[in-house]
Amino acid sequence: MSRSDFEHGRADSYRVATVVPTDDDNLTADGHYKTKRKMPAKGAKKENLDDLKQELDIDYHKITPEELYQRFQTHPENGLSHAKAKENLERDGPNALTPPKQTPEWVKFCKNLFGGFAMLLWIGAILCFVAYSIQASTSEEPSDDNLYLGIVLSAVVIVTGIFSYYQESKSSKIMESFKNMVPQFATVIREGEKLTLRAEDLVLGDVVEVKFGDRIPADIRIIEARTFKVDNSSLTGESEPQSRGPEFTHENPLETKNLAFFSTNAVEGTAKGVVISCGDHTVMGRIAGLASGLDTGETPIAKEIHHFIHLITGVAVFLGVTFFVIAFILGYHWLDAVIFLIGIIVANVPEGLLATVTVCLTLTAKRMASKNCLVKNLEAVETLGSTSTICSDKTGTLTQNRMTVAHMWFDNQIIEADTTEDQSGVQYDRTSPGFKALSRIATLCNRAEFKGGQEGVPILKKEVSGDASEAALLKCMELALGDVMNIRKRNKKLAEIPFNSTNKYQVSIHETEDPSDPRYLLVMKGAPERILERCSTIFINGKEKVLDEEMKEAFNNAYMELGGLGERVLGFCDYMLPSDKYPTGFKFNVDDVNFPIDNLRFVGLMSMIDPPRAAVPDAVAKCRSAGIKVIMVTGDHPITAKAIAKSVGIISEGNETVEDIAQRLNIPVSEVNPREAKAAVVHGAELRDVSSDQLDEILRYHTEIVFARTSPQQKLIIVEGCQRMGAIVAVTGDGVNDSPALKKADIGVAMGIAGSDVSKQAADMILLDDNFASIVTGVEEGRLIFDNLKKSIAYTLTSNIPEISPFLAFILCDIPLPLGTVTILCIDLGTDMVPAISLAYEQAESDIMKRQPRDPYRDNLVNRRLISMAYGQIGMIQAAAGFFVYFVIMAENGFLPLTLFGIRKMWDSKAVNDLTDSYGQEWTYRDRKTLEYTCHTAFFVSIVVVQWADLIICKTRRNSIFQQGMRNWALNFGLVFETILAAFLSYCPGMEKGLRMYPLKLVWWFPAIPFMLAIFIYDETRRFYLRRNPGGWLEQETYY
Amino acid sequence: MSKKNGETKYVPTEFQFYAPKEKQSIGQFLHNSKDGTYLGRTPKSWAQLLTFYAIFYVVLAGLFTICMQGLFSTLDEKEPRWKLDKSLIGTNPGLGFRPISDDTQRGSVIQFDTKVDGEKNYWIKLLNDFMKSYNDSQHTGKVCSFNQTHNPEDVCTVDIEQFGSCSPKNAYGYNNSRPCVFLKLNKIYDWVPQYYDNPADLPEDMPAQLKEHIKAVPEHERQQVWVSCNGNNAQDQEEFGTVKYYPAQGFPAYYYPYLNQQNYLSPLIAVQFEQLPVNKMINIECRAWAKNIIYNGSIRDRQGSVTFQIFID
Repeated sequence: MSRSDFEHGRADSYRVATVVPTDDDNLTADGHYKTKRKMPAKGAKKENLDDLKQELDIDYHKITPEELYQRFQTHPENGLSHAKAKENLERDGPNALTPPKQTPEWVKFCKNLFGGFAMLLWIGAILCFVAYSIQASTSEEPSDDNLYLGIVLSAVVIVTGIFSYYQESKSSKIMESFKNMVPQFATVIREGEKLTLRAEDLVLGDVVEVKFGDRIPADIRIIEARTFKVDNSSLTGESEPQSRGPEFTHENPLETKNLAFFSTNAVEGTAKGVVISCGDHTVMGRIAGLASGLDTGETPIAKEIHHFIHLITGVAVFLGVTFFVIAFILGYHWLDAVIFLIGIIVANVPEGLLATVTVCLTLTAKRMASKNCLVKNLEAVETLGSTSTICSDKTGTLTQNRMTVAHMWFDNQIIEADTTEDQSGVQYDRTSPGFKALSRIATLCNRAEFKGGQEGVPILKKEVSGDASEAALLKCMELALGDVMNIRKRNKKLAEIPFNSTNKYQVSIHETEDPSDPRYLLVMKGAPERILERCSTIFINGKEKVLDEEMKEAFNNAYMELGGLGERVLGFCDYMLPSDKYPTGFKFNVDDVNFPIDNLRFVGLMSMIDPPRAAVPDAVAKCRSAGIKVIMVTGDHPITAKAIAKSVGIISEGNETVEDIAQRLNIPVSEVNPREAKAAVVHGAELRDVSSDQLDEILRYHTEIVFARTSPQQKLIIVEGCQRMGAIVAVTGDGVNDSPALKKADIGVAMGIAGSDVSKQAADMILLDDNFASIVTGVEEGRLIFDNLKKSIAYTLTSNIPEISPFLAFILCDIPLPLGTVTILCIDLGTDMVPAISLAYEQAESDIMKRQPRDPYRDNLVNRRLISMAYGQIGMIQAAAGFFVYFVIMAENGFLPLTLFGIRKMWDSKAVNDLTDSYGQEWTYRDRKTLEYTCHTAFFVSIVVVQWADLIICKTRRNSIFQQGMRNWALNFGLVFETILAAFLSYCPGMEKGLRMYPLKLVWWFPAIPFMLAIFIYDETRRFYLRRNPGGWLEQETYY
Repeated sequence: MSKKNGETKYVPTEFQFYAPKEKQSIGQFLHNSKDGTYLGRTPKSWAQLLTFYAIFYVVLAGLFTICMQGLFSTLDEKEPRWKLDKSLIGTNPGLGFRPISDDTQRGSVIQFDTKVDGEKNYWIKLLNDFMKSYNDSQHTGKVCSFNQTHNPEDVCTVDIEQFGSCSPKNAYGYNNSRPCVFLKLNKIYDWVPQYYDNPADLPEDMPAQLKEHIKAVPEHERQQVWVSCNGNNAQDQEEFGTVKYYPAQGFPAYYYPYLNQQNYLSPLIAVQFEQLPVNKMINIECRAWAKNIIYNGSIRDRQGSVTFQIFID
């Protein structure tokens, strides 16, 4: 048998039986590196990997059972004493995984309360309180404006803090629902008594009994077993159930037969075992611990937001300090300078923006959840959009995780069976005698049965008890022939030799349905070469022929071909027992075989594979065109992996691996230039010896890569390798073995149905339907939200200029303040919010899946060009609009623009009760302030008016609005909403007391309109030139 | 290595991973001789950018100017665009007082020591400056009286000889601790007072002194906006003493309405405080009385009145 198979310990009978030994050298990467394979794996990569390796050092599987009992002071029949169990429990704690360390709730809350812009606003609020208390202590009648503003600012920070905290905790609550709330129970023997205990109460040395359907409650050493099989897939990625028994078969604890591991499932038989490790010390616990210990780093969007916050904070602090100093130089009182500082901070900080971003991400998360992508961490919404490499698991994600008959060989031809999920593929002829004979064997020589209570379920989706291959045959036959159970009833089984790994075949003897035929039917299936050995004739086109060399050649070709497709091949033969030797009522003895199992009639082959999901090839192609590299990382065999990779397009048609080239040119693998091969299939064993430079080379020079037979550590190394190259990596996986890689990845994607709890814990996102195609949806949504966040931020930042400039003019030109802090807050937290959020609903401008992933180093969320556009261009037009309205109102009431300059001190002095305007009228303090606040209101309204145009131009970054249309109804609502809110704030009675906003004459809404049109026309023109001259100067300077 | 030609569609290429940006030192940022950039841009790029922005702002300034021109074209030189109720100035004039410090930090406090020349001269000079325009206009206007019929466009002179002991010659009383404060009613375009001219129909809260005064005024001269001053609160009122009003305790009707006439000057009333305590801040409130003047004495919303403080060391 193949050496490699032994070495990797996958001594599973079926697989080994189906692998053609010679294939290994030609078709896998193995041959190439065979010389290296024996080298010890002492690469000592990283600390955590060493840590994981420790688990391999246990010796519980090696020692004799007696030594084992002695070590744990237990007894195979009586188990532990209650006292000892109690003592152990107290010493080791409960048998459960320690949940990953949670950040305390109050720390999370404080982060929201003091992170981002909050600090800046707190400073503003504190300055307000300081200014107020100084005023209160020095003046008899302090104006409570500062107190009021301080309270408003604190309220803003606290409310936005609570809001983001709420959003955060809401998304983490989704996870709670995934936790398995049903307590696990285990059957334990203590002091000779069988007890049912909660799994948490198990201790070292406990003797437990497990039966099929149970979850293994701890790591156990098997001491007794009856046809016991476990599904280790969540631990090792191996999809085959593996038989377990008391015998020690392998040095590696993961491979030896006498150990079963915590959290894996028993699928068949029963067993009794001694608990050898509990909770966090189990293999599962170690991997989970490794995963939680990994440093995940910031998500790309978090990096972008931090970058953006630094930028804005920098601008705010710079402007604030500069004008604080300027105010001093100009001879302002220091208290006034402080008040200027507050104004500049408030104007500079887009108070509502972080909440907007959170809401936008939440909306996208909801939309993704409705498309089966459940996002645990809000920021991960965007990460998929930035992803440049996807490392995908094979089983269950790319494939249906369901063995299905893919091909049959009978009558000397290969027939393709339909493997699609909905049976939409080609149909084959079911009437030929060859098929009839083959189907009879497949039906009868089969122990699998449908589980009860699944009447409405489509055949392919029905649950089956029994081995995966037999289930595949059962379903195939049910589809071809109809009611299999009925057929079996009509052909009563008389005797059976079940499959075992030494025989590699299974035989059963049946009565035939033909009552006139007294003969018994012997049917056999098993490893094809073993079956062929036992045959002397072959059934071709309804005739029985001698199995000559020619037929053997034909058989071998078919076998090779199917094996090369990565399929598991089974051979089928039958024999009608002559009635003279085996008359009716003959007692067949299976232990001492008293019937022929040689010289049988060969009928055909059937091959099975876990077929790819229907949507996957399309999804992979989409990823390709989106510039995303799709790498398959699987624990499965290289041939199978390669076959699936080819069928889903991970290795695209026409691309060859090094081995393919070598075979085509008929030269040794070592002579092929690896760079000529675009595709590569890398075996886990060779990965073990590869240095990080070599791995980088593999990742760089092969665009299509399949990693087969990989261990958890290697998955981690692959992910790290990709990240080292600068890629943003998404990893999909379902098993516990995937969890370190899931955690390490920029975005870990776990499977909702098949995924283990540990993997869901480590992941950032969960695919509810386990379908790779959902990832593409995620990528699309992620890219869209990144674009839309840019638009949203461009929109929000634009209004910063008309907010800051009044303060600057106030200080530098000594004019009455054109826009107050309260009105600024009304814009930032009122009228701008809904439109900014509505941009999250904007449709993509072009096919976002046809462009390359964004460059995380250069393509920032907020870049120089966005600032230049928002601040330097559109914002300036908006400021002009605001100042124009301000001058209009001042002039129409009596203060012509020129009289305003230098008037500030008199204007703001309460003592001056008779300030003269340009028409000789004299204004009391109260009337002046009414005029000033009316100007604030009008400035505010004019910002709303110009923001209409800004919102419309922010809908697109390149296209014309006439191409994009106004179909975003959320945005249209936003336009109406901000207008109504502005009107409400201006006209609602009582606002003049509360917010100092006064009703405006209708005509004062209009002065901003020329500027609104200017914004619209300017930007349409700009975008027209952008489209005309792609890559031109304008694009380099203004395309954000 | 042997290059195989033929059916190979794909030229072996490497997968493009994004590489991090090169780190730049501050010196390199200021001037990078390799790329020829200053502050991250080449001189040419800077020139292009600055030209773009120059053009952009010139056009924007143009737009703004056009809009401003449009605004000015709707405005009248003499008459405000909005008047009275339509304007935010409303129809409720307040009172102004002089002297008022030109340092806004000092607020509405008039503080001086009669023995220190510098302090009292500060206020005398402020009043002299204030009176200058009145001096200059003594002969430009018309001398008006209640008997004449009044043309709204006429400008009536304010006769500065009528201020008695508050005259400039007496240094407005600042030499002898009997300071005068001049009151003026705020000008509001086209505003016409509605006078309390019937002694039987006076508001309840009007001080008795003023009620008496109105009764004493001949009937045809009762067309006045009356004025009364008092301490702002009970304690101030106790120490307030007596006051004298020059030339009368009201603004005569013939000064109204104000129509932005050339050389129009507000009528003045000099209020002389005759017995102010020394070394004590007295808070004084003066109030204008007309049927269409609404009074509000609150700190924040003061209407139809004025407060100021006098402190004599």
